[in-house]
Amino acid sequence: MAFSWRHRALAAAAAGVCVATALTGCSKSGNSNQPEAEPSGPINVWVRGAGDSVKAYQTIFDAFSKKTGITINPPFMTLTDFETKLSAAATAHNLPDLVVDDAAQLGSFETQGIIQEVDKGKIAGQDQLTERAWDSAKDLKGKYYAVPFSAQANVLLIRSDWLSKLNLQAPKTWDDVETVAKAFTTQDPDGNGKADTYGLAVPGSTTRGYISWYWSSLFWQAGGSYFKSAGNGKFAANLNSSQSLESVKYFENLFCTDKVVQPSALNDTTTETNKAFQTGVTGMYFTGPYAYATMDATPIKGKYIAVAPPKGPANAQTLAEGTDIYLMAGGNAGAAKKLAEYMITPEAQRLGMTAVPTATIVRLPVNKTVDAATEHQGDDRWKLAQDVYQSSGRYEDINMPNWTALRQATSDGLNALVAKCADPQAALNTLNDKLNSVLRTQGVAG
Amino acid sequence: MSLGTSSAPVASLPRRDRSGAPDPSRRRQAIGRAVRSRLSPWLFLTPALAFFAVFKFWPVIWGVYLSFFHVRPYLGNEFLGFDNFTRAFQDTDLRAAVWHTVLDAAVSVAGSMLVGFALALLLESPARHVRILRTAVFLPAVTAMVAIAELWGALLFPGRYGAVNSLLGTVGLGPEPFLASPDSALWSVMLVQIWKTAPYDMVIFIAGLVGIDRQLYESASIDGAGAWQRLRHVTLPSLRPITTIVLTLGVIRGLRVFTEINVLTGGGPGGATETIVTTTYKAATVSNDAGYASAVSTLLLIATILLTSLTLWWRNRQEAK
Repeated sequence: MAFSWRHRALAAAAAGVCVATALTGCSKSGNSNQPEAEPSGPINVWVRGAGDSVKAYQTIFDAFSKKTGITINPPFMTLTDFETKLSAAATAHNLPDLVVDDAAQLGSFETQGIIQEVDKGKIAGQDQLTERAWDSAKDLKGKYYAVPFSAQANVLLIRSDWLSKLNLQAPKTWDDVETVAKAFTTQDPDGNGKADTYGLAVPGSTTRGYISWYWSSLFWQAGGSYFKSAGNGKFAANLNSSQSLESVKYFENLFCTDKVVQPSALNDTTTETNKAFQTGVTGMYFTGPYAYATMDATPIKGKYIAVAPPKGPANAQTLAEGTDIYLMAGGNAGAAKKLAEYMITPEAQRLGMTAVPTATIVRLPVNKTVDAATEHQGDDRWKLAQDVYQSSGRYEDINMPNWTALRQATSDGLNALVAKCADPQAALNTLNDKLNSVLRTQGVAG
Repeated sequence: MSLGTSSAPVASLPRRDRSGAPDPSRRRQAIGRAVRSRLSPWLFLTPALAFFAVFKFWPVIWGVYLSFFHVRPYLGNEFLGFDNFTRAFQDTDLRAAVWHTVLDAAVSVAGSMLVGFALALLLESPARHVRILRTAVFLPAVTAMVAIAELWGALLFPGRYGAVNSLLGTVGLGPEPFLASPDSALWSVMLVQIWKTAPYDMVIFIAGLVGIDRQLYESASIDGAGAWQRLRHVTLPSLRPITTIVLTLGVIRGLRVFTEINVLTGGGPGGATETIVTTTYKAATVSNDAGYASAVSTLLLIATILLTSLTLWWRNRQEAK
């Protein structure tokens, strides 16, 4: 106990000196990189999450502390500018020991040197995880830099009451989506006598690359892919392809000709877009199954259904995503690894799925011995989410050296294209050049 | 000169003995007093200087230093020489951001000054009801920009049933896209900025108006000057120093515009509201390129110093006339 107190005091003193010397490059002395005989805490954890997710994570952390005796300082959790805050912490050499964030951040973190490589073979319980989940923790060279925690694939949420009122069926193809979206926009589905509804909720902001994140599914459904191999581990951007053009034309049309997207879309992140769906401004929302809990906590509970993503010209692929556990550079690696190992156990995965019904922090389990459909008995939406993930889930190119930089560049280009209702082919050519230049800076341009 | 004043320095001179040499103890006291009087202002300034040194001067120096590196906190910084600066001059996105910043600063500063001046003319009165009105008008200036931006973001909702669009609809106008279109986003941001800063300018102008000698107005009236002529030939020339202050503050504020844009549009749509600081912020936090962000910030610092010096030079020239 006395040791623990002294440990904390040292860390606090070091942090104080760090602040006083402002960015002079001091590093944490409280959590050294020295190998320790027995991992001990306390450890500092940051999680990208908010609301009831805080309670859900705390349940897992409490169970971990009870089991191992390793304490966890009150975790820092936010959805707002999470990576920005992490960058600031890195600049001040004051990183936490463990971070839970999107798998898509892997490359960005790796290129900053702020995460530690993970020896997959030495992670207890690693063989219980699906290979697909492990793939979301791997870089281009096949090295693992995270431990997967949760997986998901996007589904289409749609207002069932609006469909009934207008005698429409849930859409199964791109054309169906367009028809339903037009009807939702023009035929007053909420019956309030005002033309104040829209077909689709789209997070079209460039923040965190949202517009590219959303468009990816349409891109793949048209048969496109972001990159083509140029051999020897090199790549060329593939955004000037005919498939890319087809998906962009369809996407742009929804904004510029049909005008069936909420009008503020191009400045909206998921926060504003969730609100647009929850408050009856829009009738369809293509998003992850984590939204079930969020939407059920609002008045639209029971008024919407989840369906499989509508098929595009080529297929019905949909954006798959993961949440990863990152062990941070210079952190208390021993204790952090213990926590990561606990978070992938069947027990912790179940806690993450059901301990707090309003926050399913484990969307689909990464542990093969746990089944989402079984755990969420009585809620077929989770079976749908699981089926969609397995049959048509496709991850972004998160294994690239820095996917977030590539996604950001795509987002900037797409947002400008749609905002200006520009000529899609010309804009895609420019965007393709831009992506190739980003690939060059990342050393993988072919 | 009076005897009293001329005798004071003599009395304070150290008394000399018969040989003419100064008394050593008196001399020591005099030196002590001189040192104290020299040192005491610095002593009083020390807390503020220490604060600024730690939180302003040192970060500025450190930022300038970092602009010569590819900053990688955990992998070691890589020296790049002037590469970050060269890149800044070739960056077309940054060039667009500079143009947006200059346009935004020019329009919002001029707009705030005009509205602020008009409000000052209307509300310069000691009467109680005017004081209440003045306080009400001043409220936006003391409200946090984030809160104001969130509020305006909701008011300017681009749909037919957004608050402002509903009002426009009653007179047969709209719906306007406001922040949602690259053509109108920057202008909408300027509207919010003017709404927020005009009251601030108003207060400074009121202070200036109060300071104008009333006799000047009376003389002008006697000479037959009308309201417009009094404004043109008495009020405006008397407010020249105040105008320079408002202008200087406005230019500095305009060049580092960030909060309202980050909250209202995040630089979008299509980069239409991207400014120097939003670009810098994104370079540092989204692209994790603190070196490039520092280089752009350094250039902005140099531009701000040059502009401020130019404004001061202009003011001095005007006052010398």
